[in-house]
Amino acid sequence: MSAPRRVVVVGGGVTGWSTAAALKRRVPLLDVTILPLAPPAEALADRIATTLPSIFGFHDDLGLGLDDTVLRTGSAYRLGTLFRDWVQGQPDYVHAYARHGEGMGSAPFHQLWIRAALAGTAPPFDTFSAAAAMARAGRFVLPNGDGPFGAHGVGLTLDLPRYTAMLVAFARHVGVRSQEGALAGVERDAVGSIAAVVLGDGTRLTADLYADCSGPAALLHGLLDAPREDWRGWLRCDRLVLEDLVPPPADLPVLEQVTATARGWQWTGAMQRGAVYREAEGNARGGAIAFDAGASIEPWRHNVVAIGDAAVTIEPLEWSNLHLAHSAIDRLIAMLPAGAPHPLERAEYNRQALAEARRVRDFVLLHYVTARRDEPFWRDMAEMPLPDSLAHTLRLFRARGRLPFYEEETFDRDSWLAVLLGQGVLPRHLDPLVDSVPPAEAARAMAAFQTAIAQAIHPLPTPAGFRAAQARHLYERA
Amino acid sequence: MAGRPSLRVVIVGGGTSGWMAAAALARLLPGRCSLHLIESEAIGVIGVGEATLPHIRGFVERLGIREADFMAWTRGTFKLGIEFRDWGKIGDSYVHPFGTFGRGKGDVDFHHYWTRLRRAGVAVPPLEHFSYACMLARGNRFDLPATDPDKLASTYGYAYQFDALLFAPYLRRIAEGLGARRTEGKVVEVLRDGASGNITAVRLEDGQAIQGDLFIDCSGFRSLLLGEALAEPFEDWNHWLPADRAVAMPCRTETAVTPYTSAIAMPAGWRWRIPLQHRTGNGYVYASAFTTDEDAARALTGAVEGAPLADPRPLRFRAGRRRRSWAHNCVAIGLASGFLEPLESTSIYLVQQAITALIELFPDSAKCAIERDEFNRLIDMEYDRIRDFLILHYHATTRTDTDFWNYVRTMTVPDSLAEKIELFRRAGRVVKYREGVFLDASWIAVYIGQGIEPEGYDPRADLPDATMLTRSMQALHGEIAATVAQVPEHLHYIDRYCAMAAAA
Repeated sequence: MSAPRRVVVVGGGVTGWSTAAALKRRVPLLDVTILPLAPPAEALADRIATTLPSIFGFHDDLGLGLDDTVLRTGSAYRLGTLFRDWVQGQPDYVHAYARHGEGMGSAPFHQLWIRAALAGTAPPFDTFSAAAAMARAGRFVLPNGDGPFGAHGVGLTLDLPRYTAMLVAFARHVGVRSQEGALAGVERDAVGSIAAVVLGDGTRLTADLYADCSGPAALLHGLLDAPREDWRGWLRCDRLVLEDLVPPPADLPVLEQVTATARGWQWTGAMQRGAVYREAEGNARGGAIAFDAGASIEPWRHNVVAIGDAAVTIEPLEWSNLHLAHSAIDRLIAMLPAGAPHPLERAEYNRQALAEARRVRDFVLLHYVTARRDEPFWRDMAEMPLPDSLAHTLRLFRARGRLPFYEEETFDRDSWLAVLLGQGVLPRHLDPLVDSVPPAEAARAMAAFQTAIAQAIHPLPTPAGFRAAQARHLYERA
Repeated sequence: MAGRPSLRVVIVGGGTSGWMAAAALARLLPGRCSLHLIESEAIGVIGVGEATLPHIRGFVERLGIREADFMAWTRGTFKLGIEFRDWGKIGDSYVHPFGTFGRGKGDVDFHHYWTRLRRAGVAVPPLEHFSYACMLARGNRFDLPATDPDKLASTYGYAYQFDALLFAPYLRRIAEGLGARRTEGKVVEVLRDGASGNITAVRLEDGQAIQGDLFIDCSGFRSLLLGEALAEPFEDWNHWLPADRAVAMPCRTETAVTPYTSAIAMPAGWRWRIPLQHRTGNGYVYASAFTTDEDAARALTGAVEGAPLADPRPLRFRAGRRRRSWAHNCVAIGLASGFLEPLESTSIYLVQQAITALIELFPDSAKCAIERDEFNRLIDMEYDRIRDFLILHYHATTRTDTDFWNYVRTMTVPDSLAEKIELFRRAGRVVKYREGVFLDASWIAVYIGQGIEPEGYDPRADLPDATMLTRSMQALHGEIAATVAQVPEHLHYIDRYCAMAAAA
């Protein structure tokens, strides 16, 4: 067999259409057909409207601008998440996708902040993130210039039906073929690869490579007996209740509000609200979606690549669901075989995918294990044994305020710090490099930094004002 | 800082590692430690004329050293990369640059487009013609990189080649200026605490015991504290890197003072050539299983370009590392922690990484299990990645002219390396690291330079029209050649920037 040229994508949610559109747009010589099965309720990557800043990179690679992806689809900008009640007695905190403060000399900012916090004189950590402060003040700008608002990350809350419609139109425009129908069966060949996908009317779709975007049921990939890693011992929530806000709030909130509850957490965003929890025995709530946290150890097996919930299922805390799907798409494109596919290429793909998924798991789990609440659910959480990588991270941070480096990390140092310091985890010892900066000098610089942020926020528009100006600009150009 | 315990740090061994550690700790951790370095003039220093990697510049800068001053003092020259001669086969030559190929932008690396045209039968120039750093090196030219990222002249970094025997004294001056103490003497005994196993003091020949909380073992190959006293096991990599001896001999420079180091393959190993301002350092790294010391010395003497400035000096070593570089309260830095032959100039880099990690993880007391584990994790990662990269140079060869080359060509390599080679061979893919010393361009340079040409390439490289692609490659080729021609000659640049003082 030579290099794969024909691809069949199974699944018609955001994940399936994103996969088909990206493959055809970025590798036009591929022949891409999609079987757009309606996404099941359990497919979180297709159902959760809140996304991370990486979605802009995904759009850029497709050549899609803000006009198409944001303004015409009615999606909302977002700057981060506000966490409330995760630690009793601690104020709420914002995890924004941006840098905190400025280091001084060879001393990193967070170490200077920790020194002040240990001395009891530090304002909350998130007050040193310009993006978090802007979000709390109810203002919004896209990153621009060299000032405090030059480099913050912005995510989107998608209006899912309109966004999907935009992707469908784009995918068709770039040459993705859509084959309507129901999945009736799957044919396998002698080595176990998929030979064809058979539709209800008997049509056979054949391809060199199949992308399974059908959700957690993994209609193709699930037939291949790929081993799966079970995370339920760590991530113990197993139910999701999801509700669309109709109509969405007019003021377009730029922060999701995520509040801890007795057995999980609940949130309100710009398009949706919902709750994630561990189901109590014999106390099932109607309408809840059940999910099992875990990841496939071989998301690429034989000639099938699982993308989205078919590969990894994780609760939406920190909104990584669609991000992991985008990342899988990018990785697949970067590693498309140049000749006959080889097991090593799959192994390398799988190694990266699993490493990435595990660190996202660690980051989500971090919220639970550093929370402090009295309910039995939370007390159990605080005591459970952790995955090695998270245990090492926490051990090192608690000792030194230092974060270890891992390859394939999704959330950067500032994100880890936002949650750790936001939840009141303070290290026992400081980085000795802070010695070179006298505390009074650091305090002055920190105060000046906060003043500069406050001044910079003052003239900024509200999110709705920003959007209206953008829309006017678009209209004038048209 | 008031109230913080100050650790008594004892460094055993001067030389490059010892004085680098002393200067950096004195500079960056004032008040956190007192420094006491013990060295013996009776024990020789290994420094054989050092070539470095671009990371050294960060180290020099953090110490507040002025580059020109430091280069004049150590008679240093600039280094844009390493030239490898006769590795893939006799007659080959390629440069591993401290820079990228092509413009270094875009989703798909330049070498995929280059491979596409080659496989389509288009007569494209060798890959190194598309590297600004390689072409500067080949032209014996040097200038500092441009800061504008749109300029071709921004697509490289640089390092130094300097006299290591002058580097240590330079750092010693700094360290002593910042309060480090030095004691002349030989360590004859290492005293340990019976309960914890920690080192409490080292006793010198004259009977005095020097006490400390943290001990830094910079004693070189002997690994006096970590290896001998604490008996940390040595992980031997000799079967992959069979070179275990070297003979070094400086000579007068008769050819060019090149802005690069050369590594020339030899019958049982390879020979370095490091041009400094006042002389050229040479050495033959060889495997004693495949040649004799006499033959090696003869081969080196016969190969060097000018009159010898000293007698050939023999060195012995073994490739590998201590299982842990930090055990108990003892951190080994440099040769005391492990050895990888200087084929890719990684010795000082490893010292620097260990010092940086130690500073960032500097403990408050001798109880430091967490810091130690993280330190060891970081250092192991560095060693393991460099190891694979070095093995690649030996293994990717078609040479059959000696038993040595037959051995390394056919030996079993670590799985981690075999997989990397196969991924590149199939489609030009380089296993991505976000961190680590050698990134994509380095691996590409060695793969292509030693004849591992990819059979395929990223399918996206097929997107541009072939004629347009050929034309833009020709344009880039011309632009690099024209830009390089404007750059000053290496020696002229040195004369202007950092000429050494006239010989005393």
